[in-house]
Amino acid sequence: MKRRKSLIASAVAIAVLTAGLTATAISAKPAKKHAGTIEVLSLWGGSEKDAFIKVTDAFTKKTGIKVNYTTARDFVPVIRTRLAAGNPPEVAIIPRPGVLADLARQGAVKNLATMGLSSGYIRARYSPAWVKLGTVDGKTYGVAAKANSKSVIWYRPDVFKSLKLKPATTWAQLLAVTKKLKAKGKTPWAQGAKDSWTLTDWFENVYARTAGPAKYQRLFAGKLSFSDASVSSALRTMLQILQNKYLAGGVQGALGTGFVDGIGQVFGKSPKANMYMEGGFVGGIALDQVNTALRPGKTIDSFPWPTIKPAYGHPLVGGGDLAAAFTDNADVRSFLKYISSSEAGTIWVSTGAIVSPNRQVKGGAYPNSLVRKEAKQVASAKVFLFDGSDLLPGSLGDDWGSTLQGILQSPGSMKSKLSSFQAKAKKAFSGG
Amino acid sequence: MSTDPLSASLPRAPAHAPRLSGGKGRETLQGLIFAGPALAVLGLFLVYPAVQTIRLAFYRGFGFKFEHYLGLQNFKDLLTSDPDFLDRSHFPPTGAVVNNLKWLVIYTLACLVFGLALAVLTVRVRYEPVVKSMIFVPMAISATAVGVIWLFVYSPDPSIGLINAVIHGIGGSPISFLGRPDTLNYAIIFAYVWASTGFAMVVLSAALKGIPTEIIEAARVDGAGEWAIFRRVMLPMLSLPISVVTVWLLINVIKVFDIIYVMAGPGGGINGGARVIAFNMYTEALVNGRWGYGASIATFMFIVLLPFMILSVTRFRSSRVIA
Amino acid sequence: MASIEAPVLATPTTLSGRIVRALSRSPLHIVLIGVALLWTLPTIGLAITSFRPRSDILSTGWWHAFGDLGSLTGHNYSLVLHSAGMGQAFLNSLYITIPATLLPLVLGSLAAFAFAWIPFPFRDGVFLLIVALMIVPIQMALVPLLKLFNDWQLNKPHLGIDQLGFVGIWFAHTAFGLPLAIFLLRNFFITLPKDLVEAARIDGASNFEIFRRIVIPLSVPALASYGIFQFLWVWNDLLMALVLIGDPHRQPMTVKITTLLSTYGVEFHLLAAAAFLLMIVPLIVFFSLQRYFVQGLLAGSVKT
Repeated sequence: MKRRKSLIASAVAIAVLTAGLTATAISAKPAKKHAGTIEVLSLWGGSEKDAFIKVTDAFTKKTGIKVNYTTARDFVPVIRTRLAAGNPPEVAIIPRPGVLADLARQGAVKNLATMGLSSGYIRARYSPAWVKLGTVDGKTYGVAAKANSKSVIWYRPDVFKSLKLKPATTWAQLLAVTKKLKAKGKTPWAQGAKDSWTLTDWFENVYARTAGPAKYQRLFAGKLSFSDASVSSALRTMLQILQNKYLAGGVQGALGTGFVDGIGQVFGKSPKANMYMEGGFVGGIALDQVNTALRPGKTIDSFPWPTIKPAYGHPLVGGGDLAAAFTDNADVRSFLKYISSSEAGTIWVSTGAIVSPNRQVKGGAYPNSLVRKEAKQVASAKVFLFDGSDLLPGSLGDDWGSTLQGILQSPGSMKSKLSSFQAKAKKAFSGG
Repeated sequence: MSTDPLSASLPRAPAHAPRLSGGKGRETLQGLIFAGPALAVLGLFLVYPAVQTIRLAFYRGFGFKFEHYLGLQNFKDLLTSDPDFLDRSHFPPTGAVVNNLKWLVIYTLACLVFGLALAVLTVRVRYEPVVKSMIFVPMAISATAVGVIWLFVYSPDPSIGLINAVIHGIGGSPISFLGRPDTLNYAIIFAYVWASTGFAMVVLSAALKGIPTEIIEAARVDGAGEWAIFRRVMLPMLSLPISVVTVWLLINVIKVFDIIYVMAGPGGGINGGARVIAFNMYTEALVNGRWGYGASIATFMFIVLLPFMILSVTRFRSSRVIA
Repeated sequence: MASIEAPVLATPTTLSGRIVRALSRSPLHIVLIGVALLWTLPTIGLAITSFRPRSDILSTGWWHAFGDLGSLTGHNYSLVLHSAGMGQAFLNSLYITIPATLLPLVLGSLAAFAFAWIPFPFRDGVFLLIVALMIVPIQMALVPLLKLFNDWQLNKPHLGIDQLGFVGIWFAHTAFGLPLAIFLLRNFFITLPKDLVEAARIDGASNFEIFRRIVIPLSVPALASYGIFQFLWVWNDLLMALVLIGDPHRQPMTVKITTLLSTYGVEFHLLAAAAFLLMIVPLIVFFSLQRYFVQGLLAGSVKT
């Protein structure tokens, strides 16, 4: 009886499957896009989205080409799915150069040189570091649309003043400030380590300053092993500060605290800690979301990441988003030309939402002192290093974050964690 | 087979129902007319994607393309050289499969036990509908919102996290539920139990009410205590609704993803310790673009769950036999 | 059908029963009310959070709001409600959810009837296969579905009717809802009194008449209970809508809400208010159908 039933089941399975397959074999022509409208996909929402819409509105007014802006917070899965289904947007603004490189090698994005954006045109507007980020195997696939600095340490000027502390310019000073705060019964640091990208940013800043830009580039390009001594040495430096006695709630408390909650621990209405390491965008979030009573310069301020090895100076670790095209037509060409112009950049920065990597955008266009400070830092950086975890392919950046959480949690297991991460990285870089 | 004292009086299954005039051919036609539309929709929008997925599991499949046939290589890699999926290099083994087993045992049992206890207890009070509604409401909240709610509840900061506020209030030191590898999984599992128990309770409570009073009365007359009545009379009669709930919970367990993604982050928490099978499938296919490998994870899920599904269906079929 | 209305355990007749009852009475109330309150606490927290200013949310827990009731505000709600396109998104949610709930109900009950009462060939085998389809993960199905949508223009308006742009997602949700529908309903249908069906057959009633006059009226509870599940599922869906609906003007509330959130900041104030707004419609549906729901899920498992 049982056997008969399973036979029946498989027979029916085949019948239903064939029905499904024949049905799909009769397929119609692919969908045509409306002429005069392009879809732009990115991950910005909220005020960032509003700022970007201002930029695209000006474009529509000028050219008559409509822009459909779509948001996907989980940007990578959505772009992957739509590409696989043959339904990509015309333009995407991609937050990770690593993803852009993947897409370029798979032939999904267009070479910009063939779309009227010559290398001369791009070079006139962007510094070599930015041009390089959009370049894969010698061809340019993306233009930088926005930038931010991640080499910033935020602190409470009021507390520093009352304890006669000064912003640190060297690692030794930073350690001294940390110890002094602790000695005065204050918790020096907060850390939103539950969002593991805050830890990758920490590591990148330390690594750039202890191993130097050259090793940094090689490490995040898969050309240097994560088991290299320079990695564990940078991690040990980092753990001089990220340890139980200096963190609000200890290491485990930090690992259970999100990025924004961490800002709240320093700049909220009942502060518990006094320093916070994260990008330039912390200022906006702290002022708008966490505590509207904050006063820039009085109760919130920032200083640039201190030097560690004097030889490597102040390399800037930062992030940014690159615009890339999936379709080549006249509308897309004029959009790309527009988005890389100083005109678009000026409108965009005036909203206070971004820092423009376009060097033709004037400093006066920025609306407040916190953004201006960040823009100046980005513009004046001698060495610009892109956020390393965003350079890693696919989910490897997230894996790196989880690994750093594990190392923070039990530093003793550093060696084995690094070697198993290296095994993963090797696989990912070889395209496995 | 039939130990159920009621079986004689219950409706029989229609398996041997008298045939309509016109015989077998006509029945086939009628069956097709009734089931046809559903089968067509299923065939096109569910079976077709499922078949594509299973096929893709045998390819390298970047960009969901059927290029470079690999045979069983994906499955081999999955089971032998993917520490995120299953790491047997140390004892006890770790990885998504092990976590899913934790989910399977704890989530399923907790939902069943809480659901059953609440069902049995609420029957005895007049404000039953109020209590039941209160327990059920979380079902209406999306998985993402459930994750966000519990991020707050678990916050290690006693001025924000409810649980730690209580711990702090009674003089304890705060516990960072999501910041410790040993509590991370259980904290997420409990949040999902919170959201799902209402369903188990409602189904089991309905089933409880279906038990005829005479049986329970008869047991009482025989001098059985409340616990004995529960164990000897109610529990056996609830075995079938319990299996309905179990199937539903099982599917929840194998598909659970959103809440882990929200609460542990895209890397799956400290050392990726909160990852489950569906999480790995998502990461490999949609983030890394390794659709073929992701498809092999999906196919693995399918193969593992299939025996349970068959068991549950034959179980339901046996219910007809009892009836 | 259950005809026993009286509480089963209300009147123990034995001495031991009475003693147990008397002893257990007050602890029972304490336990039940305690558990119910504890269970509701996170939801209450969410409710209060949704009325607090964004800076308060990140500084103190929701219970601190009791000490400062004046700080509560409807601002978060007005931010969500007045954000561009939210009204349209609400309508879109209804346009998507209502057909995507009714379709599997209709198709599922027809199919379930066939699986329960028409002995056509391969019946049990097909049924087993359908139940097995419950496992298919949506994430993997998205690519073939999206290809299908593009090839067949299933996410573009047709005949000048904008709502027909939802055809694709209706069918996608229907397909993912059908296995559970058929599984539950078939198991409910086979427990219906056989005598009734056979009597009707002897009177010359067609299968369709039996379905319409006997099976459906007797199964309203089961249909309602499945309907609520499917409604909750589709209403709260983000993934399918995000990927399968390209046009921003056709996105439902769940997708629209994510466009309010910025990259780095986690806007809990908006999330809390949005989560509550999202809950309203499903809860109305739930409470208005609750009594059916409670009976309906006896579905095929307990015979009365």
